[in-house]
Amino acid sequence: MDFEISKELRKEIDETREWGERQVRPAGLEADRNGAPLPVDHLYFRRYLEHGGGRTRWHGAGGKSSSGSSDGVVKSVILGEETSYWDRGMTIANPGVGLPEGIVLASSTEEQKQRFLGPFLEPDRPRWASFALTEPSGGSDTANFKTRARRDGKHWVLSGAKCFIGNASRADWILVQANADPDKGRAGQRAFFVEQGTPGLGGFKIEKKMGLKAYESTSFTLEECRIPENNLLGEGERSSEKPEQSDKNVKGYKSTMGTLNASRPGVAASAIGIARAALDESISFARANDLMKQIRVRDRLELFQRKLRAAWLMVLKSAWLADEGKPNIVEASMGKVYAAEIAQDIATLAMELLGVVGARGDHLIEKLYRDVKALNIVEGTGQIQRVIMGRQLVGLPR
Amino acid sequence: MIDFSLNEDLELIVDTIRSFSNERILPKIRVFESERRVDDDVCKEFAMASFDRLELPESLGGSGLGMLARVLVNEEMGAVDPGAALALDRLGPAFYVLDAFGGLKALSQFARPILETEGKRAVLVLESDSTFDVEHGRVSGAVPWIPSSRADLVVILSDTGARVVEHGSSLQPLRGSGLRAAGASSLRLEHAPVIAQWQDARKAAQALAKARLYAASLLLGVLRHSSEFSRNYAMNREAFGRPIAHHQGLAFLIVDMYTAVESVRLLVHDAALKIDRGEDGTQESAAAFVEAVEASRFIGPNGVQILGGHGFMQDYPVEKAMRESRALGLWMGGIDRARDDASKFLE
Repeated sequence: MDFEISKELRKEIDETREWGERQVRPAGLEADRNGAPLPVDHLYFRRYLEHGGGRTRWHGAGGKSSSGSSDGVVKSVILGEETSYWDRGMTIANPGVGLPEGIVLASSTEEQKQRFLGPFLEPDRPRWASFALTEPSGGSDTANFKTRARRDGKHWVLSGAKCFIGNASRADWILVQANADPDKGRAGQRAFFVEQGTPGLGGFKIEKKMGLKAYESTSFTLEECRIPENNLLGEGERSSEKPEQSDKNVKGYKSTMGTLNASRPGVAASAIGIARAALDESISFARANDLMKQIRVRDRLELFQRKLRAAWLMVLKSAWLADEGKPNIVEASMGKVYAAEIAQDIATLAMELLGVVGARGDHLIEKLYRDVKALNIVEGTGQIQRVIMGRQLVGLPR
Repeated sequence: MIDFSLNEDLELIVDTIRSFSNERILPKIRVFESERRVDDDVCKEFAMASFDRLELPESLGGSGLGMLARVLVNEEMGAVDPGAALALDRLGPAFYVLDAFGGLKALSQFARPILETEGKRAVLVLESDSTFDVEHGRVSGAVPWIPSSRADLVVILSDTGARVVEHGSSLQPLRGSGLRAAGASSLRLEHAPVIAQWQDARKAAQALAKARLYAASLLLGVLRHSSEFSRNYAMNREAFGRPIAHHQGLAFLIVDMYTAVESVRLLVHDAALKIDRGEDGTQESAAAFVEAVEASRFIGPNGVQILGGHGFMQDYPVEKAMRESRALGLWMGGIDRARDDASKFLE
């Protein structure tokens, strides 16, 4: 048993910190002040590319194994926590394949990797991809999604609506979750690459949010949106097969749920990053205002520090289990709900520490207070996480 | 390197102490509680397996294990009966004070005689929990409660140092709120000669850190047991045509109790690992203790609540867990002092 971070990883954290302080925090504050995501031609995104970001983890045709993250979930959440410390919204706004990358690496054909990840190997400009799961009627009950995919000759035709989708309007392509066989419920779920500009893909509406303003959360519609048959994730060579004849077809749904399980530690880590920023800002404020001798102030800060450490270890454990290939359903949900709720508590109590200064609306803690709320909603709300845990711990029926 | 697994040695220790606790202690927890003691044959078996000298250096005939091994053992024993755990571990947290201040010499002089004589017990008391006067090398005063029916060696820990007393103490038996299998007494010292004393605030803090972790890990076991027992009960007890655990109000409560236990466990392990690395774990140990006590306020009463009326009856162990967890949280200086130390990072 060892909870220490290796020296090599510490060095990477230091580099992330330097970039975060110099570039990420100012960019996030700018977007928050503007009340809108930074435009795609913003200098920050250029710098991000020059800094080495925005690239796919895929090594290209004939490259090394592309079956998943080469760095591991532990490393990913540790670096993600550090970036979120500086600005969580910017971690989503950053160019790159982003959320769908894990699924595409795990489930796509070589031809699809070449076509959809290829442009992210050495991008000529900032490029984004997007993953569309949530619908206006719900987000966690994936079996009940309304978006449909209908086979029509050598095409699939998609119809439906998606909402709160990160970077959708600026993405080169969106991996859209749709049901190709509604009679089968979850088993009918598939994922499709829908390229920007495809007729029928439209109605983009960038939502106005309470916080996390740095990235776009976008709603859009699919109206008889016709895409080539080989845009079905994991399909190409087998495109002539009927869905039920191919084992790979069940990957549509399984890959979705797999991503949620593996990505909860990442979302939880970003809540921790925000909360740690709130703690540091609280300590600075208390010191600057000579509050440190007040026992109530000290008690609050002690609580922040202790809960944050427990939450962080919980998240690391769920990530470590994922790296070990061990089941982490309970731990991933537990880390997610605990981290998000603790983070919200910390930001809320930090506002109390500020007093009326917090009400001015121009303190970083006030921004963190608005930002952090989303983390108990995205990737399954705290209540959904408890339902998932309840299924595992007490056999809560579906 | 992040790693949440236990090595084979530690896994073996956990398996062994779990079997021992379940086979030798669990069937008689109510007997031990009412008799205020643990059977002699159980004590002998515990000592035969060297569990009473877990952290004693190998050169003194101990197992020479560290804090992580201690908290793992305590979690298992606390999950069955923390009072019995205290009765069986006859050096208890007094070991940490002797070790911190006096090293091998003090352990050889004071700890070994305790282990070599059947039934003897060392007790650790905190000066902050007591009223003591020291005059001409003799100490007088009283401690309202110790979880023991014997005090063959009294180790008194203050913020700045420690004293050891062997004679001149008297015990008055108490009913005790919890931990009754360990015995419960009030302790009085009347001009008791101090046979050793040391001054070193840093060592005092280190010894207290370990003592707190000792208490927190027993508490962790109690909380785990209460949480798991009530979870299993809720899966079998039916109301309105389904297990009560399938009513979401209870399902969410059970999930939150499970989470609270895990948060305590992670902080306990975190502090133990830090201490075993030779670093100062004062703040982390205090934080683990505070977390454990806060969790006990939530889990103790809710473990009873889930069982409803049955929970209130002594036929079930959750009422015992509620009392034990409260008593453990008052031990080793309690939560307020611990919170002070847990906030030392602010200085």
